[in-house]
Amino acid sequence: MTSLLPRVKSKMAIFAHRKARGMLDGEYGSVFRGRSLDFDDLRAYVPGDEVRDIDWKASARHGSPLIRRYVAVRRQTLILVADTGRNMAAVSRSGEVKKDIAVMALGVAGYLAYRHGDVVGLVSGDSAATGTIPAKAGEAHLERLLRHVDSHAGLDAAPSRIEDQLDHVARTVKGRNLLFVVADEIPASPALEQLLRRLRAQHEILWLTIRDADLVPSGATPSSGAGFFSVSDSVVLPMHIAATEAIAAAYANAAAERDAARNTMLRRTGITEGTVDGSRDVVSALFALLERHRRAG
Amino acid sequence: MFWWVLPAAAVAAAAAAWTAIRRRKPDVRRRPAAHSDRLTMLPEYQDALRRHRRWLAVAGLACAALLASAAVAAARPVQLTTTVPEQRNRDIMLCLDVSGSMSSADAAVVEVFAELAREFDGERIGLTIFDSTGSQVFPLTDDYGYAREQLLLARDAFDGKPGGSGFLDGTWGGRGSSLIGDGLASCLSGFPRTQDSDTRADSPEAKRSRSVVLATDNYVSGNPILTLPQAAALAQDRTVRVYALNPGDLDYGSDPGQPGAQLRTAAESTGGSYYALDNPGAVPGIVTAVQETEATALKGAPRAVVSDQPVLPLGVAVLSGITLGAALWRMRL
Repeated sequence: MTSLLPRVKSKMAIFAHRKARGMLDGEYGSVFRGRSLDFDDLRAYVPGDEVRDIDWKASARHGSPLIRRYVAVRRQTLILVADTGRNMAAVSRSGEVKKDIAVMALGVAGYLAYRHGDVVGLVSGDSAATGTIPAKAGEAHLERLLRHVDSHAGLDAAPSRIEDQLDHVARTVKGRNLLFVVADEIPASPALEQLLRRLRAQHEILWLTIRDADLVPSGATPSSGAGFFSVSDSVVLPMHIAATEAIAAAYANAAAERDAARNTMLRRTGITEGTVDGSRDVVSALFALLERHRRAG
Repeated sequence: MFWWVLPAAAVAAAAAAWTAIRRRKPDVRRRPAAHSDRLTMLPEYQDALRRHRRWLAVAGLACAALLASAAVAAARPVQLTTTVPEQRNRDIMLCLDVSGSMSSADAAVVEVFAELAREFDGERIGLTIFDSTGSQVFPLTDDYGYAREQLLLARDAFDGKPGGSGFLDGTWGGRGSSLIGDGLASCLSGFPRTQDSDTRADSPEAKRSRSVVLATDNYVSGNPILTLPQAAALAQDRTVRVYALNPGDLDYGSDPGQPGAQLRTAAESTGGSYYALDNPGAVPGIVTAVQETEATALKGAPRAVVSDQPVLPLGVAVLSGITLGAALWRMRL
């Protein structure tokens, strides 16, 4: 098995070439506000840094914006919350397996945290069991987390239930941490909203939704693709009977209502949500998510 | 007919179904999908699924009916019937004595045969008239239109209608009149010669039955070349049955030398029969009786006829095929 982390790094390198170098780091660094007052040094401004961190006097002397760096008083902890149930073995909207996208997203977030000097832990599982890997630093640890997610999410895993993992976090994790939740299009429910409210009171939460495959592609001919089978009971979905206008419209309506309900729930609980279709846009989606989180402040 | 086809077809169908079920491999191109219940629980989808299942059931039934009816048709269902074939290959020669006393009876005979000729199918009919010499009016023919025309001409002549006298030309000029033996012999010569084919029972000519309807009163005046018994022997030799119609049976007593008794003996010696008439009006009934007797005598042995009955299974197969096509088209398979 090839290493997972190098793939994440190469993806980020491509992104870094496209956008300004270091931008992601700046965005990640400004997730937490309230730094220590112990000034460390100055560094060049990169887009994404907090404007209020600019040392204006030093910038005026230097001729270009400089950012004040402070000594980190405490190391932040990034807790990756991942669904490794059977649903993650299904395909996403882009046609890739959702698990691969989740590994990529977790890797990008974890690597950003690693570069920032933070420790990364993992809470993952399915409806049968939830496991915790304690937060540690280092690339080897990050690789181990990614491999854990990669090896556990499969067609033979138990059904997905992200509520169990979140509940596990609520019960076992102490202190204020950054939670990075990767799930698919879960439906909103009052119980989940209450749980998220409870978690948000303690943690900073970033939520990445991996879009599920569109089971009834509107406007597509029924012959495109060979159809789907359900991961929950391996039943083949007869696609050609679903390829009618009425079903497509009803499905699209239901999907839009679900998305709206989830967005509303996450917004009400103060959680920033990003969506991702495939592994190609993981980095940009994460960037947009961090950006939105910083703006939402 | 081949009933073993049905169990063989059933076994083959079962084997095919078993193989299809056993060999059903999951399509590797199918991709896993999560939250499929979000699609399958939609009421619209459930409706479509119900419709699809209904058409699937229709297609399955039609397919089964198609297979079953095709197997039944392949087994060749037959209907077994026993028929008594009525032979149609008869040769009937009308042999009419045209001496003056016979004309009304002759008219009745030809009229009846003119009627009968309408319904003939395969029979051949000929007409020979004789008095002192024989004259063939028309030979054995199956051109019934022509025969009927000639028979009606003969009837008019016998009835004495104007212009019909020439019809009887050529029957006088012999030695004497009413030479019955000669007349019968010339009638017999109207049948094709079959000496060679008589030995071969399978030749078509040998299978044709031959009969002569002889209308005469058997009053001979003159010296015939052949006497009536000799002519009857000739008929017997050529397997010709003679049916004699005698309108003037005036025998006294049961003396075998009486003309009527002679005629009866001659007719019955050939396997035919003898009818004495009291008046010409009885002729149609008797001729019909002769015709009937002849038909019964010629009935062959009962034969089992085996005929295919493919209409029902093939009709069902066509209907099921159409239904199957419609169902498949409806399901867009």
